[in-house]
Amino acid sequence: MPRLETFSLTIKTGTQGRKDIPKYSINGFPLDFDEIEGEAEPGKVLKVTGHPESFPHTLTLSGPDEGIWEIEEVNAEYFCSNEPSYKIRMGAVTLDDHSDLNIWQERPPEVFEV
Amino acid sequence: MAAWFSKVFKPKGAEAPPIATGVNPPMPDWAIDDDEEDELVPRQIINPPILVDEEEMSGWSEDIRIKAKLSNIESACVFMVDRPILDGFSFWCPDKDFAYGSSPLAAAIFDVGGVGSVLLHNMTVTVTGDGSGVHTWEEGARLIGAVIREFLQSGKPVVQPEVLANIPPEEEIARRIQKVIDEEINPGIASHSGVITLNRVEGNTVFITMGGGCQGCAASTITLRQGIHQAFRTHVPEVGGILDETDHSAGMNPFFKELPAGMRG
Repeated sequence: MPRLETFSLTIKTGTQGRKDIPKYSINGFPLDFDEIEGEAEPGKVLKVTGHPESFPHTLTLSGPDEGIWEIEEVNAEYFCSNEPSYKIRMGAVTLDDHSDLNIWQERPPEVFEV
Repeated sequence: MAAWFSKVFKPKGAEAPPIATGVNPPMPDWAIDDDEEDELVPRQIINPPILVDEEEMSGWSEDIRIKAKLSNIESACVFMVDRPILDGFSFWCPDKDFAYGSSPLAAAIFDVGGVGSVLLHNMTVTVTGDGSGVHTWEEGARLIGAVIREFLQSGKPVVQPEVLANIPPEEEIARRIQKVIDEEINPGIASHSGVITLNRVEGNTVFITMGGGCQGCAASTITLRQGIHQAFRTHVPEVGGILDETDHSAGMNPFFKELPAGMRG
């Protein structure tokens, strides 16, 4: 497992959003994002960056404390130690006060034609 | 005797200091939990769909096209062919000698060199390395891809028909696998609160779920490869693919803690 230095998320909210800025949790420990731009209101785009500098057995994005949060798409970029960064696109999900989103995705395997 | 020594080690025969008795000292304020909102709330971890660019998945044509997917976890390369290789069955070759007697395609792949095992399953060929480093993965993948293409174009059977004919029915494989799970595997992992469930058998491919402490456990891959695979193949050598259907990143698994409401974002 690589050491995750930094990751950034660009989150596009659908028709139901949230007023607060979500936290993220690494290995069960909740943390605030280090850099925040935009918001998670309906139709808006939120860009956040975290610097966990740790080995992500789990990495999750917190659901709202109340109501539901419709996420249309999440574009993630991961910066791990000693390797190039990589990007992952995640599709639509809905979070509520009992759910979190798994945002740790391993580097996708290299695929080429032979 | 040094002063510090006598403070730490009492001389022989000296009376032990009295042990304090009575009520416990009061708890500090920070340790008292009187907030009802701090009740543990179970959290569900949702896995998002991963979106893949369409151009990456398109482009199949009438020629035999093969894509190689390098696994950075298990030192394996999966070759995805645009047509079935072994319909209805899977076939696992642990070494060259076994391949020569059973699967001409696997034998041809072993001849490339540096190959540790070959698994044929549906439209895929999974090749693990033998650790010799004869080829880089990219070189080896291109050589093996060419071998697979040439072999499929030849029209020869990938596995000897008499070998496939001797594979027991699904019910018998399921019964024997269940016996291995009940008598060997589950008792062995019970101390870790783990449990293995046989979901089904299709042809000779076994589908399992790793539950309890195994779900989401960082060592689950080792348990699967070195424990479950070995036990299944030892007791039921006709088994081909062994596929883990566990969602290791979802659910209330060992890595995901139940957090008090106040700690959630």
